Amino acid sequence: MPSKVGIVGIGHSKFGKRADATIRELAHEAVRPALEDAGLTVGDMDASVIGIAGEEFAMQGAPAAVVHDYVGMRNKPTYRVEAACATGSAAIRTAWALINSKLHDVVLVIGAETMTRVSSARATELMARAGDTRWEYPFGITFPGFYALMATAHMSEFGTTREQLSMVSVKNHKYGAMNPYAHLQKEVSLEEAVKSIIISHPLNLYDCCLISDGAAAVVMASEEKAKQITDTPIWIRGLGAASDSMLIAERPTLTGLMGTKAAAKRAYEMAGIGPGDVDVAEVHDCFTIAEIMAYEDLGFCEKGKGGKFIEEQQSYIGGEVPVNIDGGLKSKGHPLGATGVSMAVELVKQLRGEAGNRQVSNAEIALSHNVGETGQFVFVHIYSR
Amino acid sequence: MKFGYTSWLPETELVNTFTEALGNNKLLGTRCRKCKQKYLPPRAHCKCGSTELEWFDAPNRGKIRTYTVVSFAPESMSKYAPYIVGIAEVEGGMSLMGQLTGVAPSTLKVGLPIQIVAHHPNTDRTVYKFKPA
Repeated sequence: MPSKVGIVGIGHSKFGKRADATIRELAHEAVRPALEDAGLTVGDMDASVIGIAGEEFAMQGAPAAVVHDYVGMRNKPTYRVEAACATGSAAIRTAWALINSKLHDVVLVIGAETMTRVSSARATELMARAGDTRWEYPFGITFPGFYALMATAHMSEFGTTREQLSMVSVKNHKYGAMNPYAHLQKEVSLEEAVKSIIISHPLNLYDCCLISDGAAAVVMASEEKAKQITDTPIWIRGLGAASDSMLIAERPTLTGLMGTKAAAKRAYEMAGIGPGDVDVAEVHDCFTIAEIMAYEDLGFCEKGKGGKFIEEQQSYIGGEVPVNIDGGLKSKGHPLGATGVSMAVELVKQLRGEAGNRQVSNAEIALSHNVGETGQFVFVHIYSR
Repeated sequence: MKFGYTSWLPETELVNTFTEALGNNKLLGTRCRKCKQKYLPPRAHCKCGSTELEWFDAPNRGKIRTYTVVSFAPESMSKYAPYIVGIAEVEGGMSLMGQLTGVAPSTLKVGLPIQIVAHHPNTDRTVYKFKPA
């Protein structure tokens, strides 16, 4: 049996178009409050695990080395982790394993990315190259395009509507407007969201997450250390990870992610809970259809009923499972490496009861779901008080 | 001859054979001699671990499983935008991504029967594309 690992400190930079800071300064902006929150200094850290997805975006080779040194970790071990858009969650899983192996007791996890140094067309190009460069990229498919293929299939098979896609965006912008760290802190009406410009039919601008700069950090510790450090550790109760085929065309179904189902099953089993026990969730809404598929694949509703789930506001505070109450990737932003760590930061706040006007009352069990690419990397983590 | 609308990967023996046949309007896949798994697009190695693969003629007909119209293209593809990318179910239980032409996006529906044909985006490139059957 693995032993418990706790999160004892959290920190978050402002997400956004951050021309005022490079990746090292963004990381510092997240690390400083995380250490303060834990009541520790950088000298108390045994190692760092750093999640940064792409040096093409950072325009710095081996960017983790720069970050590790800048936050004051010289002479300590560091590990750079990469799992595309799920990089941050891969970093947390890696730190969990390092602590459980007893190699380290206290680990600083940093997720960071700068993405706005390049034009939107360039960013689209760089992300398209994360598709298969032999058999997918040569046809001009983009990341919005991949998810648009799933949206068309979902709409055709289950009757999911244009309005239901936009309702995800309306919800996430509503909560993002209440999150001081969010990139785009503004509400959007259903009409605006439905009518915005098409990026890759049927997905429009308001179906797509933001291209952002930002960082997030957590301090993780062994059970014994966590109890010494704080009276309110948040425990990782379950972890699940899985992957799907590289070529999307090879998949028997295009209306969901097999990796999500497999990862969720493993995480639920490890935690000894089911989807009905989840009080609050962070799911990977890189595109609105991705959040709808996540409701289904995580078991919050039946397959094909994700559109109805958002239409009935079951993923709002007060609904069955409040989802992305920090604005999600859609409104908070999606700096690739930072996203998974940011999900952990939000859920720790919710479980501690520190989420302010976005607090889900009596949240005891929380779930994060982070997807890299179109499901080639999937991580599900379950947290509790 | 290079494969695809855009790419910079080396044209390996596998891709050269595939592209050359495509130029003669033949769609080739590979099949594992050990486990009989078929691959379209072709692979040089089987997922079962075997390196014994043989070429076979793949059917050039199928139907559209899903599609999108890419309006906002990557830098390298902007001159072609907007374009339709679809996934087609190919007869014999295979499935393939490609661009689709010859149909108005507004009338396009999942299930459209298609044929797979060779296309030359320019003088040194070959690709396959879907068009209504």
